[in-house]
Amino acid sequence: MLTCGRFISSSAATSTASFSPFRTLTRSLLRRPAPRLLSSASVAAATAVEPDTKGGGGVGGGAGALRPQWKAAIDFKWIRDNRDAVADNIRSRNSTANLDLVLELYDQYLALQKEVERLRSERNAVANKMKGKLDPSVRQALVEEGKNLKEGLIALEEDLVQLTDKLQLEAQSIPNTTHPDVPVGGEESSVLRKEVGSQRSFTFTIKDHLQLGKELDLFDFDAAAEVSGSKFYYLKNEAVLLEMALVNWAISEVSKKGFTPLITPEIVRSSVVEKCGFQPRAQNTQVYSIEDSDQCLIGTAEIPVGGIHMDSILAESALPLKYVAYSHCFRTEAGAAGAATRGLYRVHQFSKVEMFIFCQPEESDKLHEELITIEEDLYASLGLHFKTLDMATGDLGAPAYRKFDIEAWMPGLERYGEISSASNCTDYQSRRLGIRYRPSPSEPPSTNTKKGKGAGSGPTQFVHTLNATAVAVPRLIVCILENFQQDDGSIVVPEPLRPYMGGLEVLSPKFK
Amino acid sequence: MLTCGRFISSSSAATSTASFSPFRTLTRSLLRRPAPHLLSSASAAAATAVEPDTKGGGGAGGGAGVARPQWKAAIDFKWIRDNRDAVADNIRSRNSTANLDLILELYDQYLALRKEVERLRAERNAVANKMKGKNLKDGLIALEEDLVQLTDKLQLEAQSIPNTTHPDVPVGGEESSVLRKVVGSQRSFTFAMKDHLQLGKELDFFDFDAAAEVSGSKFYYLKNEAVLLEMALVNWAISEVSKKGFTPLITPEIVRSSVVEKCGFQPRAQNTQVYSIEDSDQCLIGTAEIPVGGIHMDSILAESALPLKYVAYSHCFRTEAGAAGAATRGLYRVHQFSKVEMFIFCRPEESDKLHEELITIEEDLYASLGLHFKTLDMATGDLGAPAYRKFDIEAWMPGLERYGEISSASNCTDYQSRRLGIRYRPSPSEPPSTNTKKGKGAGSGPTQFVHTLNATAVAVPRLIVCILENFQQDDGSIVVPEPLRPYMGGVEVLSPKFK
Repeated sequence: MLTCGRFISSSAATSTASFSPFRTLTRSLLRRPAPRLLSSASVAAATAVEPDTKGGGGVGGGAGALRPQWKAAIDFKWIRDNRDAVADNIRSRNSTANLDLVLELYDQYLALQKEVERLRSERNAVANKMKGKLDPSVRQALVEEGKNLKEGLIALEEDLVQLTDKLQLEAQSIPNTTHPDVPVGGEESSVLRKEVGSQRSFTFTIKDHLQLGKELDLFDFDAAAEVSGSKFYYLKNEAVLLEMALVNWAISEVSKKGFTPLITPEIVRSSVVEKCGFQPRAQNTQVYSIEDSDQCLIGTAEIPVGGIHMDSILAESALPLKYVAYSHCFRTEAGAAGAATRGLYRVHQFSKVEMFIFCQPEESDKLHEELITIEEDLYASLGLHFKTLDMATGDLGAPAYRKFDIEAWMPGLERYGEISSASNCTDYQSRRLGIRYRPSPSEPPSTNTKKGKGAGSGPTQFVHTLNATAVAVPRLIVCILENFQQDDGSIVVPEPLRPYMGGLEVLSPKFK
Repeated sequence: MLTCGRFISSSSAATSTASFSPFRTLTRSLLRRPAPHLLSSASAAAATAVEPDTKGGGGAGGGAGVARPQWKAAIDFKWIRDNRDAVADNIRSRNSTANLDLILELYDQYLALRKEVERLRAERNAVANKMKGKNLKDGLIALEEDLVQLTDKLQLEAQSIPNTTHPDVPVGGEESSVLRKVVGSQRSFTFAMKDHLQLGKELDFFDFDAAAEVSGSKFYYLKNEAVLLEMALVNWAISEVSKKGFTPLITPEIVRSSVVEKCGFQPRAQNTQVYSIEDSDQCLIGTAEIPVGGIHMDSILAESALPLKYVAYSHCFRTEAGAAGAATRGLYRVHQFSKVEMFIFCRPEESDKLHEELITIEEDLYASLGLHFKTLDMATGDLGAPAYRKFDIEAWMPGLERYGEISSASNCTDYQSRRLGIRYRPSPSEPPSTNTKKGKGAGSGPTQFVHTLNATAVAVPRLIVCILENFQQDDGSIVVPEPLRPYMGGVEVLSPKFK
């Protein structure tokens, strides 16, 4: 397949046609179709990222390949050296990344790069020969040769650019590696890590949060449907205090543990959304886009927080950098028709307090444990009954190396519902966002950087990033109302929240 | 101009719709008049033409190609006609481009056409002869089509008529606004004071640079105690205002564009302040006034429920298009911010009094924070289309060396309610309201339009500017206003992290 051995000698060629073996192979590789856009509603699906071409650099050359708007710092050499493991990982995650194509493109890229360098040095040699006194016919021949080399070089350089772009496009869809302890399989293979509490047995007929909310005058879904559309809502009366209490309490508790509080933008550039591993342009995307703009609404503060250190080199002494960020989140929930959508369970807009960490690679496993422990402590202190699951490979999003979900019991909805998620994204996001750190000289270079640059190969390394939900308000409201209801329809306020609600201990119905 | 007197007799020889042509000719010529122009909503003094959102609305009717309004405002045309001079004066003093003459022409033609249509319907019912009946029917259909288009055009033009104006409102441009109240005075500093950006840098409160990369200019991250300060302002405002009987609300921030228009904003104007969502008829709100006004859309409220008072917390999104060159420094003009807003639905006779109540609540809030500010009665050229009267509060920002608007309180009387369709049923024992302005008139029907008012409790970023700049100390630390301390875990002073 490769034409490495068949370099065209500069002495015979008079036209760019003589570079055609390279160009032919390159052209055929470039014609392979772009990765398909897949629904981002299914975490089990592949994670092809189609770059946002709006406003990006123009399309290069004749093969018409899309130019990626940004480049992920992918370690191709590592992928090639570990191709079997990478292939297994792609398979167990149900990714549609095309590893064979990526490796073909990479080999061709290396060959082409080498050929370009060879031609450049030949051209320099020709230029050197032309210095000094020469017979006119000799000079003329050299000028011809130089000209041919230059044209051939330009053509190959164009191809190299397109090949690099195509390689980048294809490779961006390769999912992150997977922690060895992660169970392999679909949703049903996820493993129970911890269980706290048990399902309360009620001595009266329980109501769901919608019925309770009606009697307590806490929500208005109907007016919101008129004003905004379905899956929107107004919070009223004590529900407002409950939301504020949850947010205030979470920021307070988490910042006590050394996390820096942040309030973030909720409108971000679509390229930042992509770099975090989301797909604003996919069919059934979860992401709202702003008209006449390259901007989107965030679905989670993970995005603007990850972006806060984009294209930066952090001091090692600053790590780990821990943030607790409060924002509203917007999700289209396209593709969720038929899924549970009742009441507050699935909505287009909600408030969330998110934890985010930038750290050295060797610390991310430990910090992942720290994050899940913070979450478990928060929910246990609210008195909730919940399960922590180690999510199986088919249920990890592309960025996650490992993901723990917490599902809490919602007796009115008669189900366990996800109330939080904690992911270790290792260097997947940082390679896209361009976030590195400079190890101190006394530290040995990291040995377990996965797709890292390799021990001692350069002064900076990519950080690892982690994100975890502290509170996602609507589902916690569901849990609180449904679990702590009393037979008269009143709700007992969890103790930790009372100081944030002016001491209120019970929410009482206004209507019956 | 009007053809009222020239009704075509049904007994004439007419066999085709051409015999209705005097009506049709005049109607056609009125329909061809150009639609109101879209004007910048950045200037409050500008006219307030609303071009209805035709996306997804009913198709354009007939051959004249008039855009169909997506919704109808319940405009009292009779009142406008009976008070045309006052309405014309009002349009002039507000620099509106509403075309009153055209509207009144259209209205008269509308009345004539409607009368003719009714007459023909009656004739048609009476006619036994099938041939004559068919001609009448054809003519009727044509006139009915014209009537629909005329009604639409009339609606489009009339929607741009601004609200009436309170008699005490000063006439003129911005410089004519009148000082109602001054609280406090400019602090004199004994050291070189800094603006909020410099203070924020030393306190590690903001990051504008990272936000410019992630989102664009005029975005920002709040960090550390600035987060606590924002939460404190919001929590405190909700608490203080709800104590006064306002119902707390958290609202959607994505709404249908028609609701935005009904509140008097212009999502489709050039230089609009409104962000739109791609592939959708939805927009981001610039203020909670919109979703709160909408909460009782197309409803009839019980009189006993009035006044309905809400205190609503939301994020607000504004494009600030057209604000280039205006003050944009730091937190002064941003695309996204948190705001706690007060909103009232009330009976017409109570709106003046409740306007005073709202401005008093605002003044008490800012006085309790220790701010120095002025309350202004805004002049006619500075009122937005919906406002009957508007009070703005401008607070002293020493670092920016200016007074900057920190709140606005408007009485919109029935401008928004006529568009949002919000009415109430007066109790039988109450005499019908006598001062409903464009109201339906005493005793003309069981329901009346409510009045709506809105007023800012706290708009967070500008209050942060005020607090940092006014309460800075020579070492760069900030004294936290007393009312906020309980909401910040008792913190009294914010100290710099860097120098």
